[in-house]
This record gives sequence, C-alpha cells and structure tokens, in this order.
Amino acid sequence: MKVPIEWLKDLVDIKIKPEQLARLLTMGGLETVLEADNVLEIDIIPNRADCWSIRGIAREVAALTKTKLKTKNFKLKTNEISKNIKNEVTVEVRDKKLCPRYMARAIENVEIKNSPEWLKKRLEQAGLRSINNVVDVTNYLLLELGQPMHAFDADLITERKIIVRRANAKEKVTTLDDKTHELDKDMLVISDPNSAIAVAGVMGAGNTEVNPKTKTIILESAYFDPISIHKTSKSLKLRTDSSIRFEHGVDWQVVKEAVDRGAAMIAELGQGTVLKGKVDVKAGAKKPKVIKLRPARVNQILGTNISNTQMINILKGLGFKVSGTQVAVPFFRAADVYREIDLIEEIARIYGYHKIEATMPNTSFPDKEVDQQDLFRNNLRQILAGCGLNEAQTYSMIGPADFEKTALPQDKAVKIANPMNIEESLMRTSLLPGLLNVVEHNHNRQMENVFVFEIGKVFESAAQKLPAEKWLLTAAVTGSPFISPIDKGEADYFFLKGILYNLFSALGISNYRFIDTTSHLIQPGQGAEIAGLGFVGALHPDIVANYKVNKPVFFFEIDLHELIALAKKERRYKSLPKYPYVYRDIAMFAPKGIGNQMIISAIKEAAGHLAADVFLFDKYKDSLAYRVIYRSAKDTLTDTEVNSHHHQVIAALVSKLNVRIR
Amino acid sequence: MQEKIKDIEKQALAAIEKAATAAALEEVRVKFLGKKSELMAVLKSLGTLSLEDRPQAGSLVNASKSIIETTIKEKMTALLQAEQAKKIEAEKIDVTLPGKGIRRGRIHPITQVMEEAKSIFLRLGYEIAEGPDIESDHYNFDGLNIPPHHPSRDMWSTLFVSDSVILRTHTSPVQVRVMEKRKPPLAIIAPGRVYRRDSDATHSPVFHQLEGFLVDKKVTFGDLKGTLTEFLRQMFGQNKKVRFRPSFFPFTEPSAEVDVECVMCSGRGCRLCKETGWLEILGSGMIDPNVFKAVGYDAEKHGGFAFGMGIERIAMLKYGIDDIRLFFENDIRFLEQF
Ligand SMILES: [Zn+2]
Repeated sequence: MKVPIEWLKDLVDIKIKPEQLARLLTMGGLETVLEADNVLEIDIIPNRADCWSIRGIAREVAALTKTKLKTKNFKLKTNEISKNIKNEVTVEVRDKKLCPRYMARAIENVEIKNSPEWLKKRLEQAGLRSINNVVDVTNYLLLELGQPMHAFDADLITERKIIVRRANAKEKVTTLDDKTHELDKDMLVISDPNSAIAVAGVMGAGNTEVNPKTKTIILESAYFDPISIHKTSKSLKLRTDSSIRFEHGVDWQVVKEAVDRGAAMIAELGQGTVLKGKVDVKAGAKKPKVIKLRPARVNQILGTNISNTQMINILKGLGFKVSGTQVAVPFFRAADVYREIDLIEEIARIYGYHKIEATMPNTSFPDKEVDQQDLFRNNLRQILAGCGLNEAQTYSMIGPADFEKTALPQDKAVKIANPMNIEESLMRTSLLPGLLNVVEHNHNRQMENVFVFEIGKVFESAAQKLPAEKWLLTAAVTGSPFISPIDKGEADYFFLKGILYNLFSALGISNYRFIDTTSHLIQPGQGAEIAGLGFVGALHPDIVANYKVNKPVFFFEIDLHELIALAKKERRYKSLPKYPYVYRDIAMFAPKGIGNQMIISAIKEAAGHLAADVFLFDKYKDSLAYRVIYRSAKDTLTDTEVNSHHHQVIAALVSKLNVRIR
Repeated sequence: MQEKIKDIEKQALAAIEKAATAAALEEVRVKFLGKKSELMAVLKSLGTLSLEDRPQAGSLVNASKSIIETTIKEKMTALLQAEQAKKIEAEKIDVTLPGKGIRRGRIHPITQVMEEAKSIFLRLGYEIAEGPDIESDHYNFDGLNIPPHHPSRDMWSTLFVSDSVILRTHTSPVQVRVMEKRKPPLAIIAPGRVYRRDSDATHSPVFHQLEGFLVDKKVTFGDLKGTLTEFLRQMFGQNKKVRFRPSFFPFTEPSAEVDVECVMCSGRGCRLCKETGWLEILGSGMIDPNVFKAVGYDAEKHGGFAFGMGIERIAMLKYGIDDIRLFFENDIRFLEQF
C-alpha cells in the first residue's frame, strides 16, 4: 500500500526523517520501502486488517514513536428544511449473516465535477486515478479510514429501494469495469427491486454509476462478512481495493464514521446538501473483546523482564484499554487480536525484538530417532559422485509427452488439477524422463558427455487418500567419462555395472543378481534386471530416437527402499589369511548361452571350499581365461592337493557346461 | 716379478680406461681380478719364492690389486651414473599432458547447501523427520492454524490434486505429523521439496525447504533468537550481523522474519539487498497455541519455536546465482562449478 508521508502527517506528528520512519515501520513488523516523493510503499501482512488504512499506519507510527493520534474535525451540514433519508430511501437487508451492518446517507443537489487539486494529488500519490468529486471522496476515505464505500445515483435505483440479498443462481451483473459476471447463491449483491446494482463489497454495477447528470447520491457504508467477500472475490477473479479491506474485516465503528464524513465531504465538494438522518441496519450491537493478560506469562514466553507498567503503556499506545489484567481490544484489532498470545506479540514487537536477549534452549534431547533413510541417501550421493556421476535435481512434475516418449504407463500417474502448464501436469512415476531431458538439454548445448543421477521421489495413485510415494535412484549416462579425450572409450553397460559394483560393495551388499529382462526401456540383450532392485542397461533405441541425442544412452533405476533393506548396517572384521595362495588358470571356449556368471558358479561349486576366489582375467574374442585362487585356512597348500581339486574343476566345466578347454 | 706385476697393472688400467659400459667393465674386472686372472696366478706362485722375498712380492701384488679394484670401483660408479642419467633423460615426459581416469561427479549445489544447513542443526542435537510431498490440506493448512477460506491461505499459491489433496506448499506439515505421534521434548528438522504455483527468475514451482522446530516445557523467544543466530553465523560467517523483525505466519505467534547482513555489500546497501543492507533468510516464531491444540498438546504446559528457510534462496545468495531455474536445468557446465 502506498502511503504519502504528507497525508500521514495529517494524522500523527512525525519528527523523524523519512528513511528513519521506513526503518522504524519495518522493524515494527510492516516491511516499508521509501519511494520517490516521500511516499512509503508498505507491505501489509495478512493478519493486520487495521493497517489497510493511512490512519492504521498512523496508529502504528504513534505507538512506535510514543505519540498520540491527531483527531480530525468535520462538520456535517444538513439542511433544516430538507427531507429525511427515511422518507426517501428504503433499505432491506435480507441476509444479516453476510451483511451484519448496512449504513447509508443521501446527499441532494450534488454537482458532479472534477475534484480540487489537493484531492487529486493525494489520490495520485497513493496510486489512484481521480474520477470525479464523488468517487474521489469514497476513495479518499477508503485510503484514510480503511472503510470502502459506494456511491449510487439515487435516481437510477428503482423506487430508491435497496435490497441486500444473496444472488440468484446464474444471475448476471455488469460491473463498473464493463465486465459481465455470472454469480451464484453464495454471493451477496446489493440490488433494487429489478436487478443487482453492486456485487457487495467487491464492485458496483454500471447501471447505477455516478455520472455527470447525477444529482442525488446514496452513499453506502457497510460491514460485509470477510469470508464471503473473500470467496466471491476469488471466484470472480475480481480483487479490488474494496474487497481486500472487507475480506480482512473492517472496523465496526468506522462504518459509521466513514459514512458521516463521506456525506459531509461530498456535500462540500459538490455544493450539495446531506439529508437528515441515516440508515443503520445491524444484526446486533458488537462489544469489544476482553482478554486476560498475565504479565508473568508474557515474560516467560519472551524470555524477558518487561515491567507491568511498560506492558500497559505499550498496549494503551496501540489503542487497547487496560484495567488491571483485563485488556479490551479495539474494534480495529478485532480481526487479529483475540487471545493472550496475540497481546504478547503486540508487546514484543513494540518493545522491540532487538531488545530480547538471545539464549540457547535449555533442552535435553532424548529419544532420538535417527533418520537412516536421509543419511543413507546422502551416503549414496557421495559414492556416486566419486564414481563420476553428477547429481541432478529435476521437477517432480512432468508432462504427458514425457510419458509418451518413454512409453511409461500414465494410468497411475497423479494428476495436478491446476497445473501451470501441460509439461508440469503429472507427478513423475520414474526419474528417467527427467534425466533424459537433462541429457537432451546438454546435447543441445554441445555437451555430449553427460553423466547424471538423481535421488528423488516418484508418485503413484493409491487406494488411500494420499498417493504412494517412493524414493528411486536413477542414473543416465552417455559419451566419454574420461578426464581427457586421449583416453578412448565411451560409457556402456559395463561402465554402469562397474558403478553398481562399487555402490553395492560400499553398502556391503553381496547377494545381488543380474537376470534377464524384458523391460520395454531396455535394448534386448543389452541390459538386465537387478533382481528385486531395478534395472540396468542400454536405453531402447526406439526411446533414444524420441530425444535429440545422437549417441546410445545407458541407465539404471533402483528402488531405494529395497536397496536400504539389503545394505549391511554393521560390519564385522574377518581375520586376514595366514597362508599364501596357489592359483591355476583355465583357458576355454564357452558355447553360446554360457555366461560368465554360470562359469564362475560351476568353478566354485567344483573347487569346493578351497576356492577363495574365481575371476575372469583375460578375454579375447570367444576365448576366456579364468583364474582360480586356492587357499587353505589351515596350512600352505601343496601342488598335489591343488591339482586334485583343479582336475575336478576342469572335468565339471566340460561335462556340465560343455566348454572346450584350450 | 716386480716388472711383471707392474705390467699387469698397466694393462689393467688401460683396459679399465677403455671400458665404455658397466658390462665391459665387469669383464675387465673378471679378467684382471678373477680367480683365473694373471694377478691371482702370481699370487698363487708366491709359494715358490724364498721366505725373504715372499713378503715384498706379496705386498706388491696386493698394492696392484688394490689400485685396480679402486679404479674399477670409481669407473663403475661413473658409468652407472651416466647410464642412469641417460635412462632418466630418455624417460622424460610432458608433465603438462592431462591426467588419466574418469571425471569426478558433483553433488548438486542445492544438496550441498541443504546438507550444510542440516549438519549445523544435527550438531546442535536436532533429529531429521520427513513427510509426504503430496499432502492433505489438513496437515498443510488446517493443522497449522490456516482455516479454509481464510485470506492467509492466499499466502501460498497452491497446486491441487483434488479439493483436499495438494502438493505441500511448505515442509511445516511435518511439524504436525511428528507432534501427533510423539511427545515433547522434540527438536526436529524436516528437509524436503515443496511446491508453489509460481515461476520466474526467483520463484520455482518446485523448491526445497528446511523446516525446524523445538518443543519443551519452557522455551522462550530468546531461545529462538539464540538458536537461529547461531545457525546463521555458522552458515554465513561469525562476523555477520543478524536481525529479527516482527512478521506474520498463521502457525507462529509472535512471528519473526530473520535477516542476515547482506553478503554482497556487508550492510552498506546494494542491488542484491534492494539497498536495505539486509537479506531475508528465515521465517520463524513461537509455535501458535492453536497448532498445539490441534495435536492435543497443552499450550500452557509447553512452549516451542519453529522456523523455515528456502534452500534455493540461500544457495543463490551464497553462490551469486541470479536465476533459480538454473538449479533445475542441470546444465553440466553449471553443475561442474560446484
Ligand atoms: Zn547488499
């Protein structure tokens, strides 16, 4: 909200410089920036209904600088021989819940013309355009008092009869901005016997607008139900200076003050006459709320030693009435102060947060439930970065195109009802689409070596209210992983398998298996299911073709819940071998379909407990060379012992796997 | 005899002189000092001499032998050094050629900042709790003293899944979830993703928050100040000024916005801090009695504070990043800067 300092000075004495004033308000809880022409731009926080007016700001200044508000005097000129409003205008409030108070005054023989220069200037400084002397008065008082009012041309209101009622279903109204809105039964309208003449508290209708020919004004000042105004303004997408104030709750008493002052000003600026009397239809009298304040409680919560007198003075300075421990809340703070804690906040902020001493909590921290998952994820990131993968963070929302390009099923994806755009309208069910977009983004910018992983949540619709969420670890790689292009070689299935080997060994997982897969994501014959954990392999060329990437892409995706279940939590030391090992090599040709894992298993099985390790140590075309490490825990093995075992191994390989020994 | 010895010595010294390699020199050694050498033959023949001549001849042989040995040793050292030097010369490399191996990967800057912030609170004794990204409006709003249709709900532009299920707009629902299940004392931090219907250079529809709260019998606003001041000093530097300003959050009362002295201008005022000298980092406050009431805590017997911060914002300030969208593009040239 824009607040010209000149205007503010009408209401409170200000002896400090504008910069100091801005800082003082900021530190008092209203973020304020000093703009050109000594205008303050103030960010009004949502709970401070009372600050939506220059008088409200003046009250803050008074409390913060320990001065008093000035009072403005005005004269209400009514013509002795003129009529009484009661005989000229009728008001019927049909819904007193949505409109607990409706006031009106009438002004006759008003000449509609331009406002005087001082008024125009003030409105402009505050960011409003001058319209005419009547509308300007309502705007002026809206700004100064925070009470929105509406001026109707009385002669355009049928029978001069005002009805405050709920709108009919699908009732249409054309507001002052020339837009036609369709209303519903939950919205409140101001109406005459024929049609709506205003959307209550939001905007007037064109049919009763003040115009150059207007002579008689009916000035409305009301209290509308905040929630109702909020809903109406939101569903009509019509947020006005008026609706903002009503939805925060206006000051019950100022409803009257505003209509009196408004009528007086209109009469003065338009050389008109205020009719005798006023309309005041209310649901009942409002009483100020009284709260009990315990000074000890204030100091206990704040950690301070503020004296009772100081507390009382602070509250009085803000307009509260204090007698003993009873604090009466002024109407203008009814919306945000209704509990002792709210008073404590008022005391704290005027006392000054900076004066409260910083201490450390005197708390013991028993019953700690250390979150293993979070630590575990952090550990994974470190391992994977060490393996050459960059961590990526992609949006949790993706679009239908992402599902189509990866041929992932969309039926269980959680849909966002009000997405910002179609590309962010579905919650991801896999991290792969996001990472493929990262690969493509980088390829489009001449970076062909992309090694990324992401640890993140995926989402699926579920039977219960909230969707199912689970954490995945996904990697996508393409191009050369080397520091220098002198080193030849590009990422492939085995590159990722090497990373998985390191990852699993770092986590103490040894019982993993790579088995055949028919996943549509994987190029047949170039990938595997990591049993129970996920998938690893070359991304199917049909999918790669959907991205602007001209190299093969390899990926893995692992379920973190399963991974953490397998990870070893505790480690035990195994004593180091005491005796040297003896090794034997076997070179062979294996028939098609006999894989490395099968050969190693067969060797281990035949070699028995003496085989400490078996591994492929050379491979040339179809020729494979395995080394078997024999070792005993009891003594140094002799050649005779080893040979007898090794013969069994060779025999088993030939008979079981049909390999040809070289 | 004497002449013969001298002659052998002379021949040996000449051969040593001629030897150009360590191997050739070794051959010389064998020839003149080996078991089958002339000198050894002379030594063996000493027994045929008279007893008087023997000592003199013996010492002559030994003297020659010693001269030859010393000369060979010296020459050998020189030859070996020369050969080593040659080898070293031949093995010289261009040390400015690139190293071998694969490029290291990087941890995303958001993760790095999040981990740094988390570790400070973990050292202070806090524990980590998490909650779902897709939340019920009960935990995201109602339980946090944000009733339906209240204007304060408009503080967040919400992405909806249905009328009552939303993408959480803050990590504060974790507060309610933890308090529902457990009893004080509690000192919790809740890291995670949050969502808003918002997108420009400083707003991302997805971003990260770290929420924290502490509940015990007696917790004061002073404790909130102390804890967050300690955190900000560890995060931004011990000499940085910190200030607390009154603010509004539905779930805290009194509420405070916490600013740290601008990292760019050290408080003098610049574009980054909009000439104020301060950067807004944290929202915080004493937990509102209504929040306690909703989880069945007695607000008279318990107190607590809560705070929350946006990780992207801190990372932007820390690294001087001017567009939040860079974090989610994952351009390799960006990631590799951290
Ligand atoms: Zn600055």
